[in-house]
Amino acid sequence: MTTTPAPDAVTPLPGADECAVLAELTEALHSVLPEIGLEDTAVTMDTRFVEDLDLESIDLITLTGELGRRYGDRVDFPAFFASLELAEIIELSVGQLVRYIAGRAG
Amino acid sequence: MRRFLFVVPPLVGHINPAVAVAAELTGRGHRVAWAGLPGLLEELAGPGAGIHPCETPRDLHRPPELRGVAALRFLWQDFLGPLALAMAPGVERAVDAFHPDVIVADQQALAGALTAERLGIPCATSATTSAEFSAALAGMPKVEEWIHGLLAGLRGTLGDPSRTHDPRFSPDLVLAFTTTALTGECTAPAQTRFVGPALDRRPEPAPFPWERLDPGRHTVLVSLGTANTDIGDRFLTECAAAVRERARHVQAVIADPGGVLDGTADDAVLAVKRMPQLALLRRASAVVCHAGHNTVAESLLRGVPLVVAPIRDDQPVIAAQVTTAGAGIRIRFGRSDRHAIGAALDGVLTDPRYREAARRVRESFRAAGGAAAAATHLEEFTASIRQGEPGTP
Repeated sequence: MTTTPAPDAVTPLPGADECAVLAELTEALHSVLPEIGLEDTAVTMDTRFVEDLDLESIDLITLTGELGRRYGDRVDFPAFFASLELAEIIELSVGQLVRYIAGRAG
Repeated sequence: MRRFLFVVPPLVGHINPAVAVAAELTGRGHRVAWAGLPGLLEELAGPGAGIHPCETPRDLHRPPELRGVAALRFLWQDFLGPLALAMAPGVERAVDAFHPDVIVADQQALAGALTAERLGIPCATSATTSAEFSAALAGMPKVEEWIHGLLAGLRGTLGDPSRTHDPRFSPDLVLAFTTTALTGECTAPAQTRFVGPALDRRPEPAPFPWERLDPGRHTVLVSLGTANTDIGDRFLTECAAAVRERARHVQAVIADPGGVLDGTADDAVLAVKRMPQLALLRRASAVVCHAGHNTVAESLLRGVPLVVAPIRDDQPVIAAQVTTAGAGIRIRFGRSDRHAIGAALDGVLTDPRYREAARRVRESFRAAGGAAAAATHLEEFTASIRQGEPGTP
């Protein structure tokens, strides 16, 4: 299952800040999962953590820790993940997390 | 002589350790009976076992593409919940017929724990995987809440609604078939006893062409366990290709129950429907698997390092335990090709630290006592019941 970048997708193109956050998040993903890599999977705003990247809950927790190290106290990642219902975690997209970070890290 | 009723789900990996403990108890003069799926139990527990049949849900097929939390939702909502409801009448009939002193309830056969509490029978938990002890869901409290809601609903129907403990953990005794050398720090409750792997003395299947194995090369075992026949095609094919590229120093025995490799038996790859895993592990240099708890435990009990490609359920947690312990490398089941698999294989075969770590876990497993230790804890539990100690009504 690969996600191809889709410029005409419903999700609006990320703004400048969101671009920077997306790049940081992509780096964080690569750094917490070095042994499994993301191969050639493009990480876009529409990419879903569970369905497209096959991230397990244990990986999401590791990712939370890594993002905490990168953004410090400016963004409350545990609160973000703790607020998610089971169905929301299944559907969670990179874009949702990027927008949450961009809305708080500025 | 005491009477133990084992309540088990229709899952091979959950029944096998229980069979080992049951055999130990029987050898000590106790009586053992089973409640579960009759056909599977007859195969695994042997012809002499006292089996009380339980219904199980039909059409158990889980959509193979489900992963992560989506697989978790299916597991609880569409499998473990319905399984408890389906099994409960059979468990009650088993209690009426067998009069157990103790119910040994598998952590995923919730009908066991809930029927026990409703009927006031002391209950021990058999935890054949350690994922429920991990903090894998710690950052997602609403997922845990959702599971607790589902458990509370089952308790209202099958159990004693006045009880408040988590029915996945007996308040009196939880047997964990692992050790903290593998789990690392975990959230196991205080009444947990880590007994290490309990291997049954199951007869190894079919004759194996041992003469095909070259003592001058590494033997690598590849297995995706008993529950993944429908989704292993690509991964097994890539494994075979990775081994062929290393045929000068590696040979693979691949468990291929679905016949993906069409009975391949060449110089590098030997594909068999079933492999005599325990015997092969004695000479294996590495194991490539899905990080099912039993395959991992059996490999580490022989000090064999692993390449783990977790698919779902407890497997990502067990895979993380393996890598944290230093005993293996994790790859991605859905995405790893022959190059990724081969690179991981090269790693565990050439870097001695993986084998050293695997041997550290092996020592802790051996010291933990296995089925004999589990039987002793169950005996002590029954003795404490006689003295009126445990918190059961």
